[in-house]
Amino acid sequence: MAAIVRLGSVCRRGFTPLLYQSTLLSRPLAVPHKYQEQSHLLTARIHASQALNAGPGSKAASLHWTAERALSILLLAMGPVAYCSPGPVIDYSLAAALTLHGHWGLGQVLTDYVHGEAKIKAANAGLFLLSTVTFAGLCYFNYNDVGICKAVALLWSK
Amino acid sequence: MALLLRTFVRQGVCLARPQCGVLYRHAAPMGTTAKEEMNKFWAKNTKLNRPMSPHVTIYKWSVPMVMSITHRGTGVGLSGAISAFALAAMVLPGGFPGYLDLIHSLSVGPFLIGLAKFGISFPVSYHTLNGIRHLYWDIGKGFKIPEVYRSGYTVIVLSVIASVALASL
Repeated sequence: MAAIVRLGSVCRRGFTPLLYQSTLLSRPLAVPHKYQEQSHLLTARIHASQALNAGPGSKAASLHWTAERALSILLLAMGPVAYCSPGPVIDYSLAAALTLHGHWGLGQVLTDYVHGEAKIKAANAGLFLLSTVTFAGLCYFNYNDVGICKAVALLWSK
Repeated sequence: MALLLRTFVRQGVCLARPQCGVLYRHAAPMGTTAKEEMNKFWAKNTKLNRPMSPHVTIYKWSVPMVMSITHRGTGVGLSGAISAFALAAMVLPGGFPGYLDLIHSLSVGPFLIGLAKFGISFPVSYHTLNGIRHLYWDIGKGFKIPEVYRSGYTVIVLSVIASVALASL
């Protein structure tokens, strides 16, 4: 799950640190090796760059890509399982898989169309909120109501 | 949710800033990251109020293009529907069977019910089948243009068949 609230960590790139306003762009000083800036204040902040904090040579984006495809395949497999053996296990699994697949998918849409540091930050925060509410709602439905599989079956029976 | 606490040290920062207590040991010319360059680009565009060149309005639409945006559209639509459903589940009183009975009592004709079912099953079928097509591309296969068109038409035809089959269940 992508964590967007981070404690005490500042990605060297694409982010304004709390202590000083100058961007690292204005002074050409960089380390070619793997490193991360150490913040002296432990502050929580929502960051605009990749949720998986990437330094140079980081495999975060690549791993995210692979995870997206793995989840898609998993979700494909859940379809027949949901049809053949409905129940609470598959209900909650579907809730999780659907929400995450949608979250990552919408994340890609935002990356494509939203530009500008502040707008990206706001959009990602909003998406995170939406996905959280969606997952909560689906779990609530699974717990207090008939559950996803049964709901689809009932809906289709009419 | 994991809160990642990064504790990497060593950073080259602005020499001119005295309040940076961060130690730096490396001083090398900095390249900008792709993200930084992109942000600079968009910021400059906004600042200069540059108009955008026409793109989707003038370029000739092709089957792969339409299928791609439809995949995105169905994805966003389905996601929105799921979120709306989840929100409704938490906010609206009563249970799901109650609302189903409400719809039953409206005695909508079978054709409209079938249409509604098709309206739900088509986005699901299309997005699923085109998703499989995407996964096929992801393993590196089927990129030749004739193959793209062939797989595309296959997805469209199978989607329609699957949605009709599901809607008539």
